[in-house]
Amino acid sequence: MLTLLKLIQSLIKTLHSDGTPGQVAAGIALGAALGLTPLMNLHNLIVFSLIVLLNVSFGGGMLGWALFVPLGFLLDPVFDRIGAGLLQAASLRPLWTSWYNTPLVPYTNFNNTVVLGSVAGWLVLAVPIFFAARWAVARYRATVGERVRQSKFYKAVTASQAYNVYKLFRPS
Amino acid sequence: MRVKIFRWKAIGPLLLLLAAILVLVVIFAEPVARDTTEEVSTELLGTQVDVGRLDLIPKTASVDLGALQVADPFEPRRNLVEADRIVLKLNPEALIEKKLVVERFALQGMRFGTARKTPARPVTGDGFAPQAVRAVRQWSKQFDVPLLRFTPIDTIKQLVLDPTRLGTVQAAQGLLARTDSTRQALEQGFKALDVGGTVDSARALADRLAGTDPRKLGLDGTRQAIQSAQQTLKQLDAARKQVDGLQRNVTQGVKLLGAGVQSLDEARRRDYAFAKSLLELPTFSAPEIGNAFFGKVSVDRFQQVLYWTELARHYMPPGLLPREDPGPKRLRASGATVRFPKEHSWPTFLLELGQVDFTIAEGLLKGAYAASVQGLTSAPALYGKPMLVKATRNAAGSAIAGLDVGVVVDHRTVNVRDSVAARLRGVKLPSFDVPGLPFRIAPGTGSASLTFALRGDQLLGHWSIGSTEVAWALDSAGGPRSDLEQLVWRVVSGLKRLDVDAEVRGTIKAPKLSVKSNLDDAIAQRLKAVVGEEVANAEALARAKVDSIVTGKVEPVKQRIAAVQADATRRVADEQQRLAKAQADLQAELKRLTGGLAPEIKLPKIKL
Repeated sequence: MLTLLKLIQSLIKTLHSDGTPGQVAAGIALGAALGLTPLMNLHNLIVFSLIVLLNVSFGGGMLGWALFVPLGFLLDPVFDRIGAGLLQAASLRPLWTSWYNTPLVPYTNFNNTVVLGSVAGWLVLAVPIFFAARWAVARYRATVGERVRQSKFYKAVTASQAYNVYKLFRPS
Repeated sequence: MRVKIFRWKAIGPLLLLLAAILVLVVIFAEPVARDTTEEVSTELLGTQVDVGRLDLIPKTASVDLGALQVADPFEPRRNLVEADRIVLKLNPEALIEKKLVVERFALQGMRFGTARKTPARPVTGDGFAPQAVRAVRQWSKQFDVPLLRFTPIDTIKQLVLDPTRLGTVQAAQGLLARTDSTRQALEQGFKALDVGGTVDSARALADRLAGTDPRKLGLDGTRQAIQSAQQTLKQLDAARKQVDGLQRNVTQGVKLLGAGVQSLDEARRRDYAFAKSLLELPTFSAPEIGNAFFGKVSVDRFQQVLYWTELARHYMPPGLLPREDPGPKRLRASGATVRFPKEHSWPTFLLELGQVDFTIAEGLLKGAYAASVQGLTSAPALYGKPMLVKATRNAAGSAIAGLDVGVVVDHRTVNVRDSVAARLRGVKLPSFDVPGLPFRIAPGTGSASLTFALRGDQLLGHWSIGSTEVAWALDSAGGPRSDLEQLVWRVVSGLKRLDVDAEVRGTIKAPKLSVKSNLDDAIAQRLKAVVGEEVANAEALARAKVDSIVTGKVEPVKQRIAAVQADATRRVADEQQRLAKAQADLQAELKRLTGGLAPEIKLPKIKL
């Protein structure tokens, strides 16, 4: 229940933040990496750092993560096949061999079929996710956004202490 | 308004987060590493591995392990090996490439075969090691280790046999069907021959020619007569070839049916053995006694060596091709992790040299030990040398004379070779039960040796134990013993010396086991003297019972086969004889017409 409430809170805050639809969409596209790929991997530390450091919507990143986690689980068999196809491709073998024997690179777990397949899948999907999210956020704000902003529910959510912390990472 | 790309104010919190992660890593690295080591080792070895303590020493790139226990995969109540402390010195350069290269290790307090406080958990799942445990257990089951049976002879009153369980009956029915189909095929062959027409026309021509005078026929008439005769001779020759072909078919069919009759005899011998097994007659064949007493314990030894060899073959593959292993366990799918070995680089795992020297001052195991492991690696082709394990013990003046172990695992090329040689003198040999009998053997202190070699699919193993202080124990809870069991007990319980030699050879899929011991002949002779006659009578009873069921089914089949064989042979001979006679008659007439010229000589054509 708490997770659901947090998700709603995150969704509302993100959709009504001061960030542009592009910033929110960029956050969602980056956050999708956290959801689509296995979390405990080095590349996700880089993605998380980008969400924090780049002037994108942090809430959008968290929203993207939350939205794409179930999709990641569902697509695992597909990612496994994509990764296996890439790792077994004879033409790419010199590249993988070189990476496998390069310092620090093996810690990315690129040689795991699910990790490589999901990262490749995210790279392919990131641009469509960005454009689809930007269109959806703009459409929302133009239609029901203002009415929601005036609602008691929205005011209650934004009045919480958590919102003050959130504002630290709000896009300027 | 220009949009900023970086959010500089977030650098502080991000660094704080990274610092927090670092602190968590420092706090939890050791317990996580310990749990991971236990989990991965258990998965890799297919047996429970416990690590009591694990300390990471980053300054020297070392790992200090304490209270290590590796359970025996085939005996969960026993540890294969136990060590108080192991210090591993890792290569930091290889660690940066996520490779585990152990430059050296030091070991303290090593013990073998110790009892576990709690039984080891069985390793389940679809990993290679659990599969190997199951496969090796299945492998050991294929050995036909007989159980000694000492059923009192006087309890054998009658034998009830189910005819459907006798292979001879089924074989006879199958052979009868084959006989009928062979007979039908031959019959069709005879019908297709149509030798009769050819023979009749040849005979008619010969009769007609016999009534003619060549001088009255004239040149044209003679030429026509000769052409007719030659034409008919060709037809006879073609018919003869057909008969020859049929004869070959008959010979083949007869041969197959003869083989069928032989298979009936073999099936009957198997049925005799089956009927004999139902009687559970006492065994007094010396090789069977050796197998029954020590077959299981020998197979147990060989299956353990085979298991570790199979693991070595899996984890130490030859060549430099990419290799897949199951990925890490996590909420998300594990996938597969692929290794990409490269020449002149570190293998994923390498134990360059491990040397163990330690001394046990007191007790049965006292002595100076020296052991070394060299070249244990996941990529033998990269390392370029075979893996060697050596262990020796010298304990002059103690009850234990010595220990020599040598292992060579050569997986550098596809021609993999694995061999183990172990020799122990003056060690306390483990006691074991005699399968099927309420006896337990405690060999006491003695010697044991084991050699095992696997080249490709071919294996050769030899295991022997020798002792002069054997103790025999009787299981009193087993209930009243039969006279024969008491007899065997009297024979063995007086023996203090034990020499067992077991050998396994052949392919992995079809190994042969032979076991010899000094007990075999002693028990066999004693049993034969006491129950030999009764056993022979019981065996005769079993044979008679089988014969009474089988003979009625087999004899008609044999008679049918003999009839088919005789009929087909006779008919072929008759046809051959008819053809030969017609051919001879016609050739004689042709000779007469041509005035002695050979019929095959073509006469010149005369133009009139």
